[in-house]
Amino acid sequence: MSSKINNHISFVHLTSNVKQTIVATLSVTFGISMYVFMNSFMTGVNDSQSRLAFSTLAHVRIYNDGPKDRTNLLQSTAGPNQLVNLRNAKVIQYTDGIKDTRAIISLLNQQKENAGVTSQVNINVFFRGNAIKINGILSGVEVDTENKLFNTSGYITQGNWNDLKFRTDAVIIGSGLAKNLSLKVNDNLNILTGDGITKNYKIIGIFETSIASVDKTKAYLNIASARQLLSKNQDYVTDIQMNIADYNHAKEVAAKVAPAIPYKVESWEMANGQLEAADSLREIIAKAVSLTILLVAGFGIYNIMNMTVNEKIREIAILKAMGFSGNDVTQIFLTQALVIGCIGGMVGMLLGYAVATAVNHVPFKIAGLQTLPMAYNSIDYILAFVFGIITTFIAGYLPARKASKIDPVTIIRG
Amino acid sequence: MQMENIALQAKNISKFFYQPEPFKVLKDISFEVQSGEFLTLIGKSGSGKSTLLYVLSTMDTDYEGQMMINGVQLTGKTQNELAAFRNKNIGFVFQFHYLLTEFSALENVMLPALKLGQYSKAEIEEKAYRHLSLLDLKEQALKPASKLSGGQQQRVAIARALINDPSVIMGDEPTGNLDSKNTKVVFDIFKQLARENNQTIIAVTHDDDFAKNSDRVIELSDGNLIRN
Repeated sequence: MSSKINNHISFVHLTSNVKQTIVATLSVTFGISMYVFMNSFMTGVNDSQSRLAFSTLAHVRIYNDGPKDRTNLLQSTAGPNQLVNLRNAKVIQYTDGIKDTRAIISLLNQQKENAGVTSQVNINVFFRGNAIKINGILSGVEVDTENKLFNTSGYITQGNWNDLKFRTDAVIIGSGLAKNLSLKVNDNLNILTGDGITKNYKIIGIFETSIASVDKTKAYLNIASARQLLSKNQDYVTDIQMNIADYNHAKEVAAKVAPAIPYKVESWEMANGQLEAADSLREIIAKAVSLTILLVAGFGIYNIMNMTVNEKIREIAILKAMGFSGNDVTQIFLTQALVIGCIGGMVGMLLGYAVATAVNHVPFKIAGLQTLPMAYNSIDYILAFVFGIITTFIAGYLPARKASKIDPVTIIRG
Repeated sequence: MQMENIALQAKNISKFFYQPEPFKVLKDISFEVQSGEFLTLIGKSGSGKSTLLYVLSTMDTDYEGQMMINGVQLTGKTQNELAAFRNKNIGFVFQFHYLLTEFSALENVMLPALKLGQYSKAEIEEKAYRHLSLLDLKEQALKPASKLSGGQQQRVAIARALINDPSVIMGDEPTGNLDSKNTKVVFDIFKQLARENNQTIIAVTHDDDFAKNSDRVIELSDGNLIRN
């Protein structure tokens, strides 16, 4: 009975001054939609940045790092009082590439974090066009797994990525490279390897990653053709690339498999310190902005709720004089706060979604993007809603509790 | 005199105001009120009569001394216990009507009874209508309280104070805003409640006629009881 009458009073308070109720609800709506939108936008930007960064970079790379420093092999065997002097030392040729790749790949595939492994034969070559020579990398790839790791087919602007699978005489080259060599699809491309071998390939496609250094220097061909070009066996591989489910755990996975692999195992952070720094910084900024929004929106909501309760302070005194307890008063205002929080939160999520969708449609044609990036994670929406409810709850509770504790006469006397 | 007949007992009540400087408003006030007694409190403004009434009404807990109503020791009780006690046993009429302006006159009268929850809503509504007609307010029942004149609001506040049949009815100048005709109506109602229902009335007033016709007059001056 008592709680029914309290709810009735809450309802009358909410509906008798609709304007103020709407203002309070809007302050919640505004805070929550801002939080949803900013978080979605920032997550979207971060995701697209990572996608861009990992378009040619695997999370873990395994390669033959070459021999140790062998300029003075005898120094280690010399005694403390002996000096070694070697002149014109001739170091015997070391084996390049990775041996026993099958065992390594099966080891990588056993890792539970594994999200794809591919092998590459990367060759430093000269691309020779009609007029000029350009130094670059010819990358022999496993067509299917390469695409799975790097989504290479998504960057193809002309031709078809899968055609590489069946053509041993074909290459797909970067857009910058094609432009600099003045070549187009169906033209021939002459390649000169470091060992002095030249071979002609047919250009069957053009790709564009929007990373200029890659587009200007890279060409893909089938891994079998690459081995053939180097006269290597069917097991020959220069790089094994691995992606894992969460790229933030690349370091741990690299450290875990490294002891079992006699080659250099490198996570993306080790190879690209600047990327890791950028990634961490973006995350810190995202958290800082998110926290700022929480604070600003929280204070906004608190202010409005506080005002709402303080405006009713005389009513509180009258209710108490009539015999309503402090708990009744708190309950009356908490109910109002919850209703405002729920409605404001729900509308806020919808408004946040609407703003996010609208911004997601703003054209932004730079670096492979078409529109401004946006993420739609339900967790952002849930967090925003929960935050809105909690803030309104606290903002309603604190002044209500204060009012519920003082003698009614103190309020009436002023 | 038997204990059961004592409605209210005040023992050595003292109270200080601390703003702007410490000042003793009530000085060791002790008296008793019989149940069914119609008592008026008079005194010049600043004599402490309203302050004393607020202490007696349990709405002010910041005092020294002891206070009992209907044999229940009220000094030292928690706010929530006092609220429940007020709801059932005390009807209070403020000097300036103090209605909930967002509610209708009828709802204002019904609220304390709905809070008490002893009767059904229909019964409470019927009873509220009866009180309102008694005070010539039946036509105003469904109007929002804010749309009523000062005198009408005052009478609604009186109806509200009566709704739970409290054993003690207190008023801080309950007829201050009323014309002589309505003052007489209210006076007669109070008198009748005291005679027939044995309800105790304690009213602060400036109206000498009102005081003269009550059962007993207590006069305060500078926080001291000078007539008991």
